[in-house]
Amino acid sequence: MIDGAISNRVRILRFHNGEMTQAELGKRIGVTRQTIAAIEAGKYSPSLEAAFRIAAVFEVPLDEVFQWEARTGK
Amino acid sequence: MPYKEKTAWLALLAMVVAFGPYFAIAATTPPDDMLPNLRQLSFFAIAVVVQLIILAIGHLLLRRSSPDEAGAPADERDRLIQQRAVTYAYHVLISGVIMVAIVMPFFTGGWAIVNAAIFMIVLAEFVSYGVTVGSYRRQS
Repeated sequence: MIDGAISNRVRILRFHNGEMTQAELGKRIGVTRQTIAAIEAGKYSPSLEAAFRIAAVFEVPLDEVFQWEARTGK
Repeated sequence: MPYKEKTAWLALLAMVVAFGPYFAIAATTPPDDMLPNLRQLSFFAIAVVVQLIILAIGHLLLRRSSPDEAGAPADERDRLIQQRAVTYAYHVLISGVIMVAIVMPFFTGGWAIVNAAIFMIVLAEFVSYGVTVGSYRRQS
């Protein structure tokens, strides 16, 4: 299995969208403020559907919100 | 702290306060198997009533402190955590039921078996809420 980690730019995108609050973003995609906080901190990976919803809110492609960083093994 | 984590903490507290003394009494003064054993039945009823009172008051206070979160449906993370918690609890419950149903009748009887079954149910619930709290803590 390919090893890797998901990173995201949700915090930056919120900042560039008028410092949108976590609660507001959460409300628009149907999750709680705490879930947005967990996503931003990289402690929870959202479903594909929620990820697309976040991208739609910020009107950017999905890969501008979430990135996959593969770890090269030995 | 998410509302659902608060309710999980409340459930853990209610179980410890209500069933901690119940199992302490059951362990230190084993019930006899005379029928009907109203003393043992009353202990169990008291534990259940105490648990229900703590849960009712706790939920009322939590709803008052954050009414918006209380009314919000579970989101995808809540559902994932719930699934994980139920899976762990299921394994505990199944293991416990197998032990109580197959092993215990060879060694004991009556209320000892009933109490062991109740203990396994409470333990499974405890594991369920424990996993819930642990999952929210890890992701906060």
